[in-house]
Amino acid sequence: MLKEKLKKALAPLDLAQVADGDYAKTGYHLEVAARPEQMPAVAKAMRAQGCFLESLTAVDLRESFTLVYHFSNFHELCRTVVHASLAKEAEAPTISQIYPGADWYEREVYDLFGIRFAGHPNLKRILLPEDADFHPLLKDFGAEAAND
Amino acid sequence: MELLAQYLGTEVGRLIVGLIGVMALVAVNALFLIWMERKVSAHMQLRLGPMEVGWHGFIQTVCDALKLMGKELITPEEVDRPVYLLAPIVVFLPVFLVFLVVPFSSSIIIKDMNVGLLLILAFSTIAVLAILMAGWSSNNKYSVLGAIRSVAQNVAYEIPLLITVMSIVLTVGSFRLTDIVAAQTSYWFVLTQPLAFILYIVCATAETNRSPFDLPEAESELVAGFHTEYSGMRFAMFFLAEYTNMFIVSAVASVLFLGGWHGPLLPGLIWFLLKVYAIIFLMMWFRWTFPRVRFDQLISFAWKILIPLSFANLLITALVLKL
Amino acid sequence: MIELDIEEKTYHLNLGPQHPSTHGVLRVLLEMQGEYITKAEPVIGYGHRGHEHMAENRNYHQFLPNMGRVDYLHALAYNQGYCMAVEKLLGITVPERAEYLRVILSEFNRIASHLLWVGAYLLDLGAFTPILYCFDDRENILDLLDRITGSRLTYCFYRFGGVTKDLDDEFIAGSRAFIKRLRGRFKDYDNLVTKNVIFINRARGVGFISKEQCLLYGLTGPMVRGSGIPYDIRKSEPYSAYPAFDFEIPIGDTGDVMDRYLVRLREMGQSLRIIEQALDKLPNGPIMAEKVPKRVKPAESEVYQAVETARGEFGIYIVSQGDVKPYRIKLRVPSFGNLSVLPELAVDTLVADLVAILGSMDVVIPEIDR
Repeated sequence: MLKEKLKKALAPLDLAQVADGDYAKTGYHLEVAARPEQMPAVAKAMRAQGCFLESLTAVDLRESFTLVYHFSNFHELCRTVVHASLAKEAEAPTISQIYPGADWYEREVYDLFGIRFAGHPNLKRILLPEDADFHPLLKDFGAEAAND
Repeated sequence: MELLAQYLGTEVGRLIVGLIGVMALVAVNALFLIWMERKVSAHMQLRLGPMEVGWHGFIQTVCDALKLMGKELITPEEVDRPVYLLAPIVVFLPVFLVFLVVPFSSSIIIKDMNVGLLLILAFSTIAVLAILMAGWSSNNKYSVLGAIRSVAQNVAYEIPLLITVMSIVLTVGSFRLTDIVAAQTSYWFVLTQPLAFILYIVCATAETNRSPFDLPEAESELVAGFHTEYSGMRFAMFFLAEYTNMFIVSAVASVLFLGGWHGPLLPGLIWFLLKVYAIIFLMMWFRWTFPRVRFDQLISFAWKILIPLSFANLLITALVLKL
Repeated sequence: MIELDIEEKTYHLNLGPQHPSTHGVLRVLLEMQGEYITKAEPVIGYGHRGHEHMAENRNYHQFLPNMGRVDYLHALAYNQGYCMAVEKLLGITVPERAEYLRVILSEFNRIASHLLWVGAYLLDLGAFTPILYCFDDRENILDLLDRITGSRLTYCFYRFGGVTKDLDDEFIAGSRAFIKRLRGRFKDYDNLVTKNVIFINRARGVGFISKEQCLLYGLTGPMVRGSGIPYDIRKSEPYSAYPAFDFEIPIGDTGDVMDRYLVRLREMGQSLRIIEQALDKLPNGPIMAEKVPKRVKPAESEVYQAVETARGEFGIYIVSQGDVKPYRIKLRVPSFGNLSVLPELAVDTLVADLVAILGSMDVVIPEIDR
């Protein structure tokens, strides 16, 4: 069972939480919580088990960010979500050397949230014009404009 | 009055009348061919094509030509002006001059040169120079790529074309076009030289930059290839040259393989025109059926397949003639 | 001795953003040496409209029409993904007839999307005729869908809990006639396109994608199925009414452009099978769930829903904090990952091959840019 193999692979990484997800309600089979610094190790473990990076995004929780990584597998269904809480102004390590597909996803997160990824080969904006000076998905983005 | 008749009888007089006739023919031919292309492509694509202007859109091309003449001639700033302006003229002139030696019927031929075929083949290659001029002077990467491709393509396909034509010349023993037609009174050469006919049609399609060999103008890759920077009447000159070139190669094909003006009942001129337009229809059929070949496949096809085949054809012809 | 100081330099060429072969507004910055490409970098974002930002400023119902504009070619699948995600959040079960309707309409939309792809792809390769034949067939589908949904392209037909309108007999009769007609047309497509030697030379042996690349770049859809991985969410993570139908997942063996073309061609045939079975087994019943709240205010939770669109896996990730407006919606679109593998595939190819490879990815730029 892929879920058991993943749990075993993630066990030695000393993660905050590795629990079963409620698939019917959330669509996850495995819910993992980690610190951003542990993400490269988590990504390596997931890749070793043959999982691909489904999605990489962030959520602005006003006082902090949460980086959300979704992993899935081509051959056996097991969706894993990894939540990593990141402080504002902090940098997260990149996983693009493990999953080259994460390159563009991390650029998008930088573009829309302003989160920097340490070690990223090409961290520049991807959706907005290159000389834009704002990050639109931050929760206080519209508020600044309204207060002008 | 007598002086006029005397003057018209002379060589120069004939040439002038002939050139005027050719100009008229070229214009009418282009108008007709553009309409024919639009109708043929439309019906092959489950559409109708132009229907509004005139009977089934017959006058559509005239209207389009009038529109083109009224368009602004935009000359981009950074182009190499003299070359840029000369290119449309150079692409058109040789094609025009080739008409001097084409036998339309037993009596209609402007100048029956004894090296008529050689003249046609020589002048057809000047068009390549014009394309290179157009592409290079446009100061545009797309145009240069298109021009370079065109040069390579034309040079590569010129060779099997010449060798194929040689097999016919070997059979007849003369470059004079009227001789070649006269040699086909009992049977057409397409029956004795079918391979040569096929090779000639393929090479002719490549020489006129028609699909599937239309890389120099590959729309979906190079925007518009070598004539990207041309607008209005200058752009129309390139098109005029392409369609006239199609007429020329088809005329040569019908002279070499399909018996020129020979045919029962109808006058020679009508038969000639019918054969020419039948081959043009074949070329149009190719365009709307096949996708485009890739450039390296195009060149390797010419060098590795067409040239050996045309040499083989020449050798077999020589052998058969010896026996 | 003449010393020629010639250095081999590369030059830059821009493919797009206005170009007939980039499907949408895409710019590919090429570094070329002669006709060979040494580096290719896609530049996206020309069509960024801020859908994810819009989601945070509208309530759940108001965001429904946006889904049709993300990928307008398979809009019904995006509709379905979003509705299913919200239904998961609210805990609503969709009645069986509505599920069947959703499947029928989504599969028709998939066929329409693939038909357009075949036509546009052949146009990129220089064949001007197939696109008109494909559009002729596509018109029939659009007419059928127009009858029921009211739209031809950017659908907004599903609602939380079911669908808006029921099928009528004319639709069912028209569907069966169309299925028969399209099956006959596949032979034409085979003769005109698939067996054409020029097309085979353009498509075979070009643009290989390995299974390793599929994993590393998170590719989905016909891209991975062409490389031999049988990953289709309708079978791997079944949703809606798909478990009730019997259909195959066409896969290729080598992962070149030709394989991806054949996968999409055969997928159309499989979609026809699904529609046929759905029409045969269509159950009676309501088309809308009973208890759907008028004010959609899900509890504080998050959900991820994946559906299989014509291009690959569309995933929608919704974070709700108990408000009428979503807190965060992330649209995971298949073309984003699919396009990111282009720089690797483009090295040492000709421009003509790049056009062939880019076309075979079937990217829709508006969904990448959102």
